[in-house]
Amino acid sequence: MTGWRLADGGPVIPNFGHGSECLRDNGWLCTSWVRQHWGDILQPALVQHIELTLIAVGIGFAIAFLLALVGFRWRVFDPPLGAFTDILYTIPSIALYQLLVPVTGLTVTTIEIALVSYTLFVLYRNIVAGLRAVPPEVLESARGMGLTRRQTFLRVELPLAAPAILAGLRVATVATISIATVAAFLIYYGLGGPIFDALGQPDIFRTELLASGGLAILLALSADALLALLQRALTPWSRLR
Amino acid sequence: MVRKHTRRAAKAAFAVSFGVALLIGLTAFNGVAQSGVAGATKTVAKPTIVIGTKNFTEEFILGQLYGQALAAKGFHVVYKGSFGSSELANTAIRSGKMNFYPEYTGIIVLDLAKAKKFPQTAAATYQAAKAYEQKHGLTLLKETPFVDSDTFTMLTKTAHKLGVKTIADMKKVKSFSYAGFPECKTRITCLLGLKNVYGLKQVKFVALGSISIYTLLDKGQVTGGDGFTTDPQQNSKKYTALVDNKHIFGFQNVAPVVSQKLLKGSAGMQLESICNKVSSMLTINAMRAMDKAAYVQKATPKQIAHGFLAANGLLK
Repeated sequence: MTGWRLADGGPVIPNFGHGSECLRDNGWLCTSWVRQHWGDILQPALVQHIELTLIAVGIGFAIAFLLALVGFRWRVFDPPLGAFTDILYTIPSIALYQLLVPVTGLTVTTIEIALVSYTLFVLYRNIVAGLRAVPPEVLESARGMGLTRRQTFLRVELPLAAPAILAGLRVATVATISIATVAAFLIYYGLGGPIFDALGQPDIFRTELLASGGLAILLALSADALLALLQRALTPWSRLR
Repeated sequence: MVRKHTRRAAKAAFAVSFGVALLIGLTAFNGVAQSGVAGATKTVAKPTIVIGTKNFTEEFILGQLYGQALAAKGFHVVYKGSFGSSELANTAIRSGKMNFYPEYTGIIVLDLAKAKKFPQTAAATYQAAKAYEQKHGLTLLKETPFVDSDTFTMLTKTAHKLGVKTIADMKKVKSFSYAGFPECKTRITCLLGLKNVYGLKQVKFVALGSISIYTLLDKGQVTGGDGFTTDPQQNSKKYTALVDNKHIFGFQNVAPVVSQKLLKGSAGMQLESICNKVSSMLTINAMRAMDKAAYVQKATPKQIAHGFLAANGLLK
């Protein structure tokens, strides 16, 4: 690599190339950059982002479901559990990382703990609300037909709550896709990496911002559409209404 | 009919959602186990260096510079962490989750050690920073010649027109505006310093959004702005940074913060000499050229560090 040394006798400063004209002008979408860095920046970030989201929503749903069962079955626990998920949602990620890093380190686990705790807020409320919304006369008839408590829950309450639960899942998934960018405040992981990298330059790196931010938006839209389809497939009766 | 339909769908919904949750849970634990293994690498003769950086371009380049130079001499280097704040980086290195990160000396003194008075020389800043790190099982290696501090930058022609050379000269200007990142407003090394140390009460602050101060200056929308000394634009005669006689912007040389354990034995001595050699080459012109390669040519930090180290014979 050719380079030059300044008169001050400092180090050799190599020639770093010129970059394309589009990049030097900070164009909105320099396709050459996108093609060049799809493999080493964009695609890995997208895959990591999907992984972050799936794990967060999966574990978040399992935990929220168990909490909601408790809050639904024993009403006294509902307000404190609701308040608990509210408080978790308000903790800034950087503050949470400060507490977690000495224990869980610079890992995906640390990020997932933050992301999972953010999903609980939406999921818990939706599941409880869905279960509560079952009309009393329906429960009355179920009892009249001789269904046990457990049978009533599995065959009546849960199916009737399913649309609300799935709606919660959709909101939580889309929200997590956007919140997962905070991973990049701890480790270079997910689409937050290139997004903050673009934002941190003196003049925003437009191509990188548009490419990585665009991927995040596309991911959110596709996840939403997919869950909408799942919702239709799992609750065919709701279409009759 | 409806009931039967309902029952089957409910079972399916239940099975699917729990299946998915279980599957995802398992993958997660698998991932956790794997990252645990990756963290605990075998101890060979040379210690593993776990490098973290803060999450902006110049730090990424610095991390790659030290990392690649060490890897070239047979050290096992792992890159971990891209921190949103110095406090987070400090927590990570103090809890042993990494053992190497490049930091600005003034930041250590002011933001981490929370010194009430800013040291008046670069050497005093370095000493204060080192003393702080040594209290926590860490230490500082040699600092870079370059300094990346805030500035009061304006168009050279504006400076001529106003007849100002130093920040103190701005007292005679009736009203002017100063652009900077939002956090500048509450920092003594930025707007607060202009107001309280220099007594420039007439300054109007403009918070930067997505446009650099240089663009705002070019468009004539602000009088001055908070450029950094390593910004490539500072090389141009078009802009002038006013002299800061009272040192509100402080001394922000970079020095690697390392765990004291890393410096033990002959490997430790080798590590120290490699890093000091890299640091000694990081002059203001070198850093501006590398930042420019990232900001303008859009080269990646890895490419930039490789180019610089290769040109200076540090990869042999």
